[in-house]
Amino acid sequence: MGKQLLLVDDEPGILKIMGISLADRGYGVLTAENGEEALRIFHDARPDLVLTDIKMPGMDGIELLKRIKQESPDTEVIMITGHGDMELAIQSLKHEASDFITKPIRDDVLDIALRRALVRLSYKKQLKEYRENLERLVEEKTRKLVEAERLAAVGRTVAGLAHAIKNITSGLTGGMYVLEKGLELDNKSYLKEGWQMIRGNAEKVKRLAVDLLNYAKEREPEYQMLDPNVPAREVFELMVSRAGELGVSLKSDLAQDLPKAWFDPEGIHRVLLNLVTNAIDACTDLSCTPRIWEVAIRTSKPQGWAVEYEVSDNGCGMEEETKRKVFQTFFSTKGSKGTGLGLMIAKKIVDEHGGVISLFSDKEKGTTFTVRLPGKGP
Amino acid sequence: MAKKVLVVDDELDMRIFVTTLLETNGFKPLAAQDGIQGLEMARKSKPSLIILDVMMPQESGISMYRELKSDPLLKDIPVIMLSALSKKTFFHSQRVLDEHRGEKIPEPAAYIEKPPEPDELLEAIRKSIK
Repeated sequence: MGKQLLLVDDEPGILKIMGISLADRGYGVLTAENGEEALRIFHDARPDLVLTDIKMPGMDGIELLKRIKQESPDTEVIMITGHGDMELAIQSLKHEASDFITKPIRDDVLDIALRRALVRLSYKKQLKEYRENLERLVEEKTRKLVEAERLAAVGRTVAGLAHAIKNITSGLTGGMYVLEKGLELDNKSYLKEGWQMIRGNAEKVKRLAVDLLNYAKEREPEYQMLDPNVPAREVFELMVSRAGELGVSLKSDLAQDLPKAWFDPEGIHRVLLNLVTNAIDACTDLSCTPRIWEVAIRTSKPQGWAVEYEVSDNGCGMEEETKRKVFQTFFSTKGSKGTGLGLMIAKKIVDEHGGVISLFSDKEKGTTFTVRLPGKGP
Repeated sequence: MAKKVLVVDDELDMRIFVTTLLETNGFKPLAAQDGIQGLEMARKSKPSLIILDVMMPQESGISMYRELKSDPLLKDIPVIMLSALSKKTFFHSQRVLDEHRGEKIPEPAAYIEKPPEPDELLEAIRKSIK
């Protein structure tokens, strides 16, 4: 069947004659005698083409054109105008009519107008198909990229884990050799060194396993309404003497009258403990020029957040490269001392709270980590 | 007299292991913990062999190796690379650097991946030193 066409004219005679002539040309013809009826039919039948008189009582042709274009911009609308209505014809073009023909209607002119409208319809349809194809293609490629990225992340994680284990194995193998030599040659100092290597590496395996478990554990955060200073104070008290032993002075500067916030105290405790431990490590790093070491825990209430925790050190700061990688799995600058999981776990916990963790580091002045929590949970 | 072997590694465990291995097999080990210290000791004590880690902070083993091989006084000392880095990755990095700088640095006497087996390392040491 040919295209459906809606013909609108207030003169029943014209409607009838044109209707027959269009049906002869193979169109499925619908007719309406006024704008309102035309709109009703348009809603129901969704014809591809509309042919409408401009001057009609009630809703005129231009109003009908506007309504149809608003609803269905792809529909082709051809206007029929009287001889003296050039002004109206031009106005209708402004409202995106496809074309106009003048009364009395000549068959050849009508033919040309209809053919042009049909060509435009088929272009639009093709364009739409292309666009949809493109969208599908983009969607598919995006999905593949996401998949590849996820596989790459798993690969990196496994590679990092393998590296950590290799390091520990090296230490254990070495320790065993030194210990055996000590037994064989009855050499006390070999015995002692070998034994220490084995002990140290056993400790590393334990730490790696604990970190891995902590990371993998799907612990449901237990959110509570609490003073945000609580975990900061706990971590300070836990670490102050250990820091002192290592020659680092640990200070705390907690804001008074912080409003209570909604957070998981155990999770935030872990985040702060990790940051403070890192800060102390940064100070006692051998390659760092000695000075009076200081690590500080601060809390405050910034605009728009429930609480801000700040952990700063005056240790030797980070390289640009390091700054970019600190939150990645298994990235560690501590050689065999670190597992490369601590900061990644910290970030995971802060993310779960809907908060942000960020860092500022300067080779001269040291590093400051900032954690902001919204206090409303995730 | 026992031959001097310089061990350059940033990890204490590795230094203890390799120096013990050397000491108990009739060599005289020297140890350095980074490339800068390593080069200094190599110049001062002219060892018969250098065992070098690749990934170290400060000056890496890769640049120390290239400096050794470009120094007329040191370039004939054999070097064993000992690293957690895979052999393939290391040799690839050398090719890239060669091309980039238009040099041709000879390959190390041996390349051993960590963790090293004591026998394997010892054999490589004996072969390289001859």
